[in-house]
Amino acid sequence: MKFLTTNFLKCSVRTCDTSNDSFPLQYDGSKCELVQDESIELNPEFLLNILDRVDWDAVLSVAADLGNTTLPPNKPVFSSTSVDELNEDEQAVLRDLHVLLVQTNIVEGEMKCKNCGHIYYIKNSIPNLLLPPHLA
Amino acid sequence: MLPTPYVKCDYSKVYEPSEDSFLLLDALEEDKQYLQQKFQNQLAVVCELGPGSGIVTTFLMQNEIPIKNSLYFAVDINPWALETTLDTAKRNSCEKYFMDPVRSSLCSSFRNNEIDLLVFNPPYVPAEEVPLIPKSKEYIDEWLDLALLGGKDGMDVTQIVLDNLNQTLSTKGIAYILFCARNKPEEVVKLMKKKYNWDSKLIVHRKAGWEVLSVYRFYKDI
Repeated sequence: MKFLTTNFLKCSVRTCDTSNDSFPLQYDGSKCELVQDESIELNPEFLLNILDRVDWDAVLSVAADLGNTTLPPNKPVFSSTSVDELNEDEQAVLRDLHVLLVQTNIVEGEMKCKNCGHIYYIKNSIPNLLLPPHLA
Repeated sequence: MLPTPYVKCDYSKVYEPSEDSFLLLDALEEDKQYLQQKFQNQLAVVCELGPGSGIVTTFLMQNEIPIKNSLYFAVDINPWALETTLDTAKRNSCEKYFMDPVRSSLCSSFRNNEIDLLVFNPPYVPAEEVPLIPKSKEYIDEWLDLALLGGKDGMDVTQIVLDNLNQTLSTKGIAYILFCARNKPEEVVKLMKKKYNWDSKLIVHRKAGWEVLSVYRFYKDI
């Protein structure tokens, strides 16, 4: 599963919906295996659209879980929405974000809900958010 | 006519693309321009529930529906369906698009109000009850039942999705849902308007053997 997907997944337990701790999930860095997948090419316009939408605090939280604490505390802002008008520094930031959000795959791993503590697993790159019958 | 994905997989494990799948593709093709206008210049988050073979999600990627800049999530309970969806995407050279399969019961694991386009070919066949989730991945027949049987009026699963549409979809969100005549779709859509203020439009319908199938678009004009 791609890093960016962590920005959309919350705990499946219905009663956790009212808690701010059910998103993002907390990824266990020691158990997550990361692989870079370069099949999606950098598309600056796509990435700018993504950035509009992402919850940056959740990006920071998951990145820190996975051992990356070098991200800027605030969501990067760009001088233009037109790619050609971005300066070199901005283009470098976009490249870094592409590597992190789109090309970083969690192929094996586990994560838990900070509210209820339920643990979910990622196997063969596929996250499993299905609950056991007693919690569903 | 837009190209249809090439699908080759083990139909003892996942639902084989049939009349209903193709009708759903036709509905999405019919609305391609509408969707493009609706989401232009932004990101669209797409979620297909119950992708089975992956034909619909792959079709969406191949034809850049709703827009080129989309994220695709394929959500299924059936682990075989998720593997097959990845495989079908690959067979059709769609690795360059952003798609992740997620094993989940409907949208319960997605953040509220983040999905812009929801597509669902549900288990719509009326049955005494919706089968329980099989205890093992190897109980192949039971997984297939889960793709078909929809409980009372075939609506048990679809109704959960409809009742949660307000939480699931973004403010611009749209859903395409397939029905068979025995689901009583005309009554369902009236109730959706009355209970939740969702507008709907019949996009396509077709007689398929002894079934009459239809695809409705649910939307809110804002």
